Amino acid sequence: LPVRTKKRFSVPEWARELTPEQKEKRLKSLGTIFPEEHVERNFYLACTADIMDPYVPPEGDARLSSLSKDGLKQKMEKLRQTATSQLALRKVKDHVPDFSTKTFPEKAQEIFIEAHNSLANFNKQKLHSLVTERCYPEMVRGNRYKTIRWSFVESLEPPRVVHVRCDSVVNRGNLYGQVTVRMHTRQTLAIYDRFGRLMYGGEQVPKDVLEYVVFERYLVNPYGTWRMHGKIVPEWAPPKDPVIKTVMIPGPTLDPSQEYEEMK
Amino acid sequence: IHTSTSLQKFGKWEKKNRIVYPPQLPGEPRRPAEIYHCRREIKYSKDKMWYLAKLIKGMSIDQALAQLEFNDKKGAKVIKEVLLEAQEMAVRNHNVEFKSNLHIAESVTGRGRYVKRIRYHGKGMFGIMKIVRCHYFVKLVEGPPPPPEPPRTGFDQAKEYVQQLRSRTLVNTL
Repeated sequence: LPVRTKKRFSVPEWARELTPEQKEKRLKSLGTIFPEEHVERNFYLACTADIMDPYVPPEGDARLSSLSKDGLKQKMEKLRQTATSQLALRKVKDHVPDFSTKTFPEKAQEIFIEAHNSLANFNKQKLHSLVTERCYPEMVRGNRYKTIRWSFVESLEPPRVVHVRCDSVVNRGNLYGQVTVRMHTRQTLAIYDRFGRLMYGGEQVPKDVLEYVVFERYLVNPYGTWRMHGKIVPEWAPPKDPVIKTVMIPGPTLDPSQEYEEMK
Repeated sequence: IHTSTSLQKFGKWEKKNRIVYPPQLPGEPRRPAEIYHCRREIKYSKDKMWYLAKLIKGMSIDQALAQLEFNDKKGAKVIKEVLLEAQEMAVRNHNVEFKSNLHIAESVTGRGRYVKRIRYHGKGMFGIMKIVRCHYFVKLVEGPPPPPEPPRTGFDQAKEYVQQLRSRTLVNTL
């Protein structure tokens, strides 16, 4: 109940609450307001985020000697394997008329060697031009205060194109082509930590390495280049060498009453 | 478009962790790892902190942690945290193999930024009080702690005196 007292004050005309119709009339008379459009920061996708349809390398690849029948068959496997590969290859050739499965692996190996050399020299500009943005942090993570020495000794088998895929991201015509190249090479790797002590590998120890390297190119861009996109590690790959130092793996947290031998 | 700024201004001690030595040849002795760590603007006096820093100076890291844990001062807790952080950093980032194989080569305190405030006394009198802060710097080196120097005996002093006498030469003569 409102208290009936002497009216001490009065709300002025302009502060009184309006009915909804009066409010609308007032807003219309002032003029239409356009909402401020924020200029969004636009970005440019130069590479895809992941390897599309990764190639599944057959078991026991490069294990059989080339003198047996099975070994020869493995070697002579051509790219005419899958229909999707053929389709993708045709699409790639539409956009890049110079592409051919016979000359590309050599160029791919050159790009591979150049990329690893510029990684060893920390030449960031060159590395960015040879390696896609997805692969760059994988290669460079943790290397800032370390010295890496890498050298390519020789290639044991000529590199081969093994898998081609072509896909679009976000919009329909936005084509990126990915080509997997199988390389069997001999390399030396030595990583030294901040104080010049050997952390991994050896300078004079060459290792045989079988790799499936994926190269990618932005097909729609006429100035695009083939760049290293990633590597496919098969499940049957032999385990890598252990690091030189001993690492402590923390065990389970125990109560003061428990013993470790009992837990096991 | 610049979207982020750096968190803090890096002082000289933090930058010492960034030097990279060239790889060692196989014949050279293994270079011991050095880890620099510090904590800035600790709310404690630098003179009081100095006593703790001098206590720790030549010890191995386990011994230092043990001594600090049972010390009653306020700075002991802070220094213990700093040492544990530095040990963690050493094992994770700087390729140190065994976490107890470290010893403390240098531990130093420095003056932080002081702030002046009014301290109210009776009868309308006041004093200007300083709010005192300090920095603490630590350098951990891989390897067992160096053996302590043997104290100078009278015999050493006598030997030095005799050596001084023997090494005198005649001046301004033929």
